[in-house]
Amino acid sequence: MQPTRREFLRFSLAGSSMVALTSAIPNFLGRAAAQAPAAGQAGARDTILVVVQLTGGNDGLNTVIPTRDPNYTRLRPTLRIQNSLRVNDSTGLHPSMSGLHGLLQDNALCIVQGVGYPNPSQSHFRSMDIWHAASTAEALTEGWVGRALRHVPAATSFHMANQNEAAPLALTGAPARVPSIATLDDFQLRLNAASAGDRRQQREFLDGVSRPADNPPSLLDFVQRTAVQTYASSQRLSEVGRNYQPRTTYPQSALGNHLKLAAQLIDAGLGARLFYVTLDGFDTHAAQGPAHANLLRDVSDSITAFYRDLAERGQRERILILTFSEFGRRGHENGSQGTDHGAGAPMLLVGGRVRSGLVGEQPPLTNLVQGNLLHTIDFRQVYATILDQWLGVPSRQILGQAYAPIEILRGV
Amino acid sequence: MIQQPIDPRIAWERYRPSDASPWNLKKVGHLYRRAAFGANMDEMQAALRDGPEQTITALLQGREDRDADALWVSMSRTIGDANAQNNASQLSALWLYRMLYSVHPLREKLTLFWHNHFATSNHKVRNAGYMLGQYELLRRHAQGSFRTLLTDMSRDPAMLVWLDNALSQRNQPNENYARELMELFSLGVPNARRPGERNYTEQDVREAARAFTGWRIENGRGVFRERDHDPGEKTVIGQRGRWGADDVVRICLEQESAAFFIVRKLFRFFVSDSIQPTPELLEPLATEFRRQYDFGALVERILRSNLFFADTSYRAKIKAPIDFVLGLVRGLEGHRASEAGQGGVGTSELARALEGLGQRLFYPPSVAGWEGGRAWLNGQTLLFRHNLALALTSTADARFGRRLDLAQLLRRNNMGTNEERVDFLLRVFLQGDVPAATRDRLLRYANNNERQSYPAFWTADDIANHRTRTLCHLVLCLPEFQLD
Repeated sequence: MQPTRREFLRFSLAGSSMVALTSAIPNFLGRAAAQAPAAGQAGARDTILVVVQLTGGNDGLNTVIPTRDPNYTRLRPTLRIQNSLRVNDSTGLHPSMSGLHGLLQDNALCIVQGVGYPNPSQSHFRSMDIWHAASTAEALTEGWVGRALRHVPAATSFHMANQNEAAPLALTGAPARVPSIATLDDFQLRLNAASAGDRRQQREFLDGVSRPADNPPSLLDFVQRTAVQTYASSQRLSEVGRNYQPRTTYPQSALGNHLKLAAQLIDAGLGARLFYVTLDGFDTHAAQGPAHANLLRDVSDSITAFYRDLAERGQRERILILTFSEFGRRGHENGSQGTDHGAGAPMLLVGGRVRSGLVGEQPPLTNLVQGNLLHTIDFRQVYATILDQWLGVPSRQILGQAYAPIEILRGV
Repeated sequence: MIQQPIDPRIAWERYRPSDASPWNLKKVGHLYRRAAFGANMDEMQAALRDGPEQTITALLQGREDRDADALWVSMSRTIGDANAQNNASQLSALWLYRMLYSVHPLREKLTLFWHNHFATSNHKVRNAGYMLGQYELLRRHAQGSFRTLLTDMSRDPAMLVWLDNALSQRNQPNENYARELMELFSLGVPNARRPGERNYTEQDVREAARAFTGWRIENGRGVFRERDHDPGEKTVIGQRGRWGADDVVRICLEQESAAFFIVRKLFRFFVSDSIQPTPELLEPLATEFRRQYDFGALVERILRSNLFFADTSYRAKIKAPIDFVLGLVRGLEGHRASEAGQGGVGTSELARALEGLGQRLFYPPSVAGWEGGRAWLNGQTLLFRHNLALALTSTADARFGRRLDLAQLLRRNNMGTNEERVDFLLRVFLQGDVPAATRDRLLRYANNNERQSYPAFWTADDIANHRTRTLCHLVLCLPEFQLD
């Protein structure tokens, strides 16, 4: 049933000319902007997608708040948010998201309400895999972004990694391994060289021993490919963006730094089109209030800074930022001023081309299933819309079936 | 990867050296990487002489070292007593110190296995004393009963904070601990024997959460308070009764999946993280383990087995950062300087460096622990490994001092020529098991290097030392050295 790893590799090697053996060298090295789709087609503007993963299960009900609903007050006796930022008469944003609230005024924030999938899993790991693979199949081996990358072979992508973070499942299945990167400065290979000639000889040695042999994919082969990619990236990134001056102030946070680096890479014109960032800490089973407020502030301030920085650089129309979490949280709070794992929750989209405002319905709080909010929009509808209308990739092939598009983008 | 069919009957029988599978340096290196934190040349030579039986027995039993234990107690007390977040940075350095200098490294290694299993992070616990308390609990049962360990874990203060059970209310139970006990600590979601079936339902999680109510932390200890406990009947995985915490643990361990779950995890830890073992392969171990949940016996059975020493297990893992760093330091005898009173490699800086490689002790990244395997290596962490190896072997980086005295090590082993040096380094770190082309490349580099021009003020010694250190760094950068 499930293709073996070897079959998969053979398939992907044959599938794209970018992936000859030498292409363990990351494809952004040879990238030219000339390979963009023809004008008028989706993706024609070399659109950029930034996926921001909120790990742990973000409390959607305290992110986008049904301000007038008495059931909200009943379900959240201690955790309810009272001073939310107005979206409309019955909806508000968490007060620490003033940045994103500002983007709403600028027509750059789209709030998709009640997103989820049928028979939701409340395991962090299983549910995260489902979101990454865009599938509820038993065994999940490839991600939706990775599969999409096969259709845009010229596009390059980066995983803005925290240090102990693996490349996410969402990125697997890409024709070349997506490089992980945290800061530019760290990306320099240091050698014990007595002279330039010595350094060159050492580099030659390292290149020589990391050339993958022609054996079936093995663990050693994996290390060698990683090494080749590392040396090449190190070389290239040492030349990039030394003088980058952000046009806005980014928060001093890991997320802020990751997005600043993404802006730097976009500005350097490497042709990077897909970025993946994660922020952990949303598993708020206890004493949720202040922790959740800080997390949402970080999300809001970082994304807002990133959007405004790039907008200032004339990239407004090219960028789309998407946030998601593996699930929302239980409707009613628990006895420890926290919330347990739930289901349906909102997704936030930011960019110069989003249909700003609310999309979909707030799940009714009178109709909870096992205490959880029902979804009204399948997350794959959001993915499908982005794939078809934003990246110009046939969503049906990526997702295995057609999903009804939703109105989240305009003029594309 | 080509997977040879593995016969479960033969796999777990005792390994005995034969002409087809001799006891050699490769196997010694393999054993010390997996069951310890690497070895130096003398230790490997001794193991070669002693044979597998005796070497494994010594690794399992360790030696007594009262001085080290007393030192540990006083150091951990200092760090734990102050009980404050600002001691957190010393936590990982302290454990790393014990790993590096321990005379019973297997015990520390198994404690690390359990640390990864229960994956409690001081990021949330914020109490060095509680973290050390949990470490002691893990270490106490590291080669003992998993049943006792799991039972005691329900009342461990660090765990009570980590998964919020100390805050659970009888009328509004917090589900965090109950869920992870089933999903991560004892059963896993999918049934080990019946594909497509799960081991428990969402309703089981909610009922078990009620059973876990009543635990509080008082004076730094986990205590049960009747009035906070929900005494009603609960149905957990088909069993109905007025269950409490220990009952849920018992019920979980009565499930067939429990033994498989732990055995599978240990397989990944000790044998291979690149093959997916079938239930049939794990069955003999799981059946035996289930009788008493004697973890020490399970460890011994695996370490002495044919499969452990089979080709399929050799270099079948990506080295964890800790194994990378400690293997390097132990290979270069950085832990020996201390015995000679010269002050060994300090572990505070090592702990800091390990953070960059992705493994900060007492701070696993999530409730699932470190993902391990290929996740250890990406473009960034591989680069950091290279750069750390340089810092540890070069004179340019002051952080670790000149404590890894490579020149002295080579002199002691009478390694004078380029060829001798290259072979010595390849033997210490890779048991000489690299392609001939790699050895040629190293030699070519060394020989060319002799003809290089150097800064005028360098002495002949400087030049020789520079070449040795560079050779060492290049060996540590070999792809094979990233494999365990």
